[in-house]
Amino acid sequence: MSATSTVRQAAVGTTVVAEARWPESDHDQTPPPLPGFIVSSFSPIAAEAAARCLSRRATATDAASPRTTAVIIASARGDLHSAAHVAHAVDTGAPLGPLLFFQSVPNAVAGHIAARWHLTGPVVCVADRASALEAAALLIEDGDADEALVLHAEQDHAHAVLLRATPPQSPGGRS
Amino acid sequence: MTAQQTPARRGPRQVVVRAMSVFSAFGAGVEPLLDAVAGGTPGFGPVERFDVGRRRAKVAAAAPGSPDLVGELARVIDEACDFDRSTTRLFLAVHGDPALARSPGSASTEAFAARIAGECGFAGVRAYTSACVAASTAVADAAALIARGRAERIVVAAGYLVEPDQYALFDAGRALAVDGRVRPFSAGRGGLLLGDAVGAVVLEAAGSAEPLARIAGWGRGGDAYHVCKPRPDGLGLARAITDALDRGRCQVCDLGYINAHGSGTKQSDAAETAALYAALGDAAAKIPVSSTKSVHGQALEAGALLELIVTIAALRSGRLPVNAGFLAPDDDCRLDLVLAPAPAAATGAHALTLNVAFGGANTALLIGAP
Repeated sequence: MSATSTVRQAAVGTTVVAEARWPESDHDQTPPPLPGFIVSSFSPIAAEAAARCLSRRATATDAASPRTTAVIIASARGDLHSAAHVAHAVDTGAPLGPLLFFQSVPNAVAGHIAARWHLTGPVVCVADRASALEAAALLIEDGDADEALVLHAEQDHAHAVLLRATPPQSPGGRS
Repeated sequence: MTAQQTPARRGPRQVVVRAMSVFSAFGAGVEPLLDAVAGGTPGFGPVERFDVGRRRAKVAAAAPGSPDLVGELARVIDEACDFDRSTTRLFLAVHGDPALARSPGSASTEAFAARIAGECGFAGVRAYTSACVAASTAVADAAALIARGRAERIVVAAGYLVEPDQYALFDAGRALAVDGRVRPFSAGRGGLLLGDAVGAVVLEAAGSAEPLARIAGWGRGGDAYHVCKPRPDGLGLARAITDALDRGRCQVCDLGYINAHGSGTKQSDAAETAALYAALGDAAAKIPVSSTKSVHGQALEAGALLELIVTIAALRSGRLPVNAGFLAPDDDCRLDLVLAPAPAAATGAHALTLNVAFGGANTALLIGAP
């Protein structure tokens, strides 16, 4: 991942302080299972990308002061496999398990990530990454969050970035 | 005063609601909806739109027939927007493209929202899919942008029409009330019921035109607790309420009404009550509260916009919406519930509308008289 491409993914006024993807290598074939989530890889992949990103934060930055972290998920199609599974069950009269209810919206995996990493900021789900980055920047600017985990997730891949406000530039500092 | 020493945490401009339009179980228009919630007349009836023979629950608050989501969205947007939209953005709260689950090769929520924005003549669109806080999150984001001067006007629209997939999921999750009534904050409450809602509100910077109401404040907070269960002490929602009041420079004594999320489920209503006490102190026991889901049902991604419209209509009319379906008090929900039609008190020029969602997402919108 080049520094240039990383900077491009931050919104105006914010800086990327950690980043991760699924997959990141040929070893990323099956994401770690996520208890309570069935049928689809959407939520496990999203959770794994988030975990990698937040783990990198701990080693790369000051983790001593508590921060309010927003969780923002961008997905054009959401959990398509789960939705198709439900539609097929409804159309054919097949029974539906209660677990599918809990994972029926992208908020569900956001809730898992927030609970696992104790992220107490706003939870937002939108359909595109540009909107997610814009929303993240405004939440940080308005003080709703100190930082934002922006997770672009689709059925078979995910990209997580952790954004913080860009520090003010010191006089005479490098551009 | 402490409130004046606190940084504003928002842009300086006032944000107002210029127009609103709605379709619900009671048909098109704000007046039939207001009459129903102020009279405490639930709109629940047997589901005829699709087969519920295999489901535990059998009712919903659905309008007659099978209205079309795209057509209703276009209609409410046209009704609310009497202006050229070519420089205005649309924020749209929806579950997703209704066709997505059955034609996965050709659709996306992003494309669905772009199609509606294009057909309605908007400059651009942002789609929100954050379940039951999707629409309130869209309103909060729009208000924050307008307050900062990043936009002059944003239209927030939302739509959910009761359909078989979500009905089946909620039924499988045993979330639906099998006794056919939603009983928020009541002993013996047994869950939620789904309802129709399609709505649009026009938000803009305060100007010369007389608005319907002000979006005086807004707040969001996360539970960091569970995938779907609410945090029992309600602290995520309490932070959202406190932020909304702070942004609106509003004292607790200025609150005349709270439109609660009040899903009618045991855990959620108790957690919301705890949140109200955490944020408002003992005043939580004295401010009129109702959950109008007891009348119009739970409209998922569109629910928060429906309830915002109800709250504005109630504030303007001076009629308090009724918390219908009440059986008996619950010690976990000691609130001043509006249990019968009543006029609003002369004091209390502000109202809160609260929403919570899966993932521990919480929102509070503070509405002020214009």
